[in-house]
Amino acid sequence: MNVRKPLWLRITLHAILILGSIIMAYPLVFGAAASLNTQADFIRSPWFPTPLSPTLLNYRYLFFSADRFPIWIFNTLVRIVWFVILPATVAVLCGYVFGRLRFRGREAAFMFLLGSMLVPGIVYQVPLFVMLARWPLAGGNDLFGQGGSGFINRWPALLLPGIVNVYYIFLLRQTFTTIPADYEEAARLDGANTLQILTRVYLPMLVPVLMVLVIFQSVNLWNDYLWPLITVSANQSIWPVGLGLQRVMEGSVPVRGMQGFNQPFIFAVATVAILPTIVLFLFFQRYFVEGVQGFGVKG
Amino acid sequence: MKTRSAPPITPSAQFSTPTRWARTRYRHRHAIEAWTILTPILIYYTIFAVIPVLANIAISFTRWNGINVAPVWAGLENYTRYLKPPYPLIMFNTALFAVVVLLIQTVVAFFIALLLNEKLAGRGAYRALWYIPTLTSAAIMAQLVTVFIAPYGGVINNILQSLDRPPVVFTISGAWMRTVIIVFSIWRGVGGPVVLFLAALQSINPEVQEAAMVDGAAGWARIRSITLPLLRPMMVFVLVTGIIGAFQIFEPVQLISKGGPFNQTNVMLTQIYNDAFVNSNFGVATAGATIMGLILLASSYTVLRSMREEEG
Repeated sequence: MNVRKPLWLRITLHAILILGSIIMAYPLVFGAAASLNTQADFIRSPWFPTPLSPTLLNYRYLFFSADRFPIWIFNTLVRIVWFVILPATVAVLCGYVFGRLRFRGREAAFMFLLGSMLVPGIVYQVPLFVMLARWPLAGGNDLFGQGGSGFINRWPALLLPGIVNVYYIFLLRQTFTTIPADYEEAARLDGANTLQILTRVYLPMLVPVLMVLVIFQSVNLWNDYLWPLITVSANQSIWPVGLGLQRVMEGSVPVRGMQGFNQPFIFAVATVAILPTIVLFLFFQRYFVEGVQGFGVKG
Repeated sequence: MKTRSAPPITPSAQFSTPTRWARTRYRHRHAIEAWTILTPILIYYTIFAVIPVLANIAISFTRWNGINVAPVWAGLENYTRYLKPPYPLIMFNTALFAVVVLLIQTVVAFFIALLLNEKLAGRGAYRALWYIPTLTSAAIMAQLVTVFIAPYGGVINNILQSLDRPPVVFTISGAWMRTVIIVFSIWRGVGGPVVLFLAALQSINPEVQEAAMVDGAAGWARIRSITLPLLRPMMVFVLVTGIIGAFQIFEPVQLISKGGPFNQTNVMLTQIYNDAFVNSNFGVATAGATIMGLILLASSYTVLRSMREEEG
């Protein structure tokens, strides 16, 4: 199909795509532009808030007057590190077990793990909340989980669930089945044990698929909202950034010197909340595409 | 661990008289290794994924505030609650949003993917633009929408004011709020299917398309008789994951419309959240979660079945 399309067709296609792209990008571009305005300038230009005299005032409010903003960033980074290292370890080990080893019960164990993908999140979330609240000997609870508030509004609520992530186990198993057995056999002949084979032979080959994991986990945890809302909403100092910034935009977390409904400030907060994921995407586009396809194409 | 480093083909070659134990261990080396790794993982998974599902079903048959008093057996009471107002309206809204969002999103994504599959300048940039909304935080974007539709000082009403039109209070109109939630969900949801369809289109052998062109199939005929059948597996995947996503709309309802006006935009997930964590009625909340799980299983199964039947 190397026939060059006629000019009118190419112009029509571009016109449709440009129109679509404008619709998709409009709220984000509008927000970024509005965030550079003062409120007076913003109200003066209702159609599009072109920053005629751009100011970083709104960002300064967020960075220096929202007291817990740096802590929220730090909390989110802690969760990203935790939920990259542990789920990656589990996924690599399970990928090896299900993709490389032959043993009785393999398919049954794999299906047992995969089963949870059919269940929507809320089915776990309510009982998990109860489980964390009634955790024995935690947060003032007695041996039977009574008397205190358990892990609710405490760090373990944000760290315990989600270590075994079935999506990544599936992805890693698929990857392991595509790697020829020769490498492992050669290393075995040289006397390497399984741990050495996993870290020295397989790990370097798994870097691209692990990049997919790192990037998706980063975006998901940066945007995480519902689970922290359920479990830790009363403890602002352990909030992740997604919950904290939504509350700042809502106006329920006070920012020093900020009064009333200040639209450019809200747009600045939203821009800070959204920009990191977009930058990450622009740098690592191909991993995103691979991650989205991981299931669809291979599965 | 000596035996493991032995050559895999003739293990006994290195050991003149291998003990019975060593031989047994060698024969089962895969199973031993597998279960050593899997046991802690399966225990964790049982605690954090299996027990909660079972507990959800168990709690759904009780009356319980989730805090101190022991749950009281309530039979099907919580499930029959779902037959009384406002629950039927909530289920209707959930289904309405799911169906409308899924249909529009899939059709739009399919045609955008067809366009992006053409050799056009800058298609990488277009693809990126279509995917970016998917990366945004639903909570932050939903909170941002409230700035656009605020009755006083909102972006849209500022525009109306500059045109000397009276302000519109969107939040009191069920039709407006439903539209806002549907448009919002499509805006955030269309990027994934675009990338998926595009990947599937690019994996189609170009010779197939060329053969069809030679046979005189062009435009819509080519799409219907060649492209669509080849895209069927991806279509199934997009629809199944799409249903699961569209049923779980939460942030726009919770933050933009708060379910209002008069439950006209309330959906199952926000109602489950409010039943559990605002009204402390864990029985009704878990019953809702169970119903939602069953609906999703049934609809995924239906999609899979119908697509397979069409094929055969």
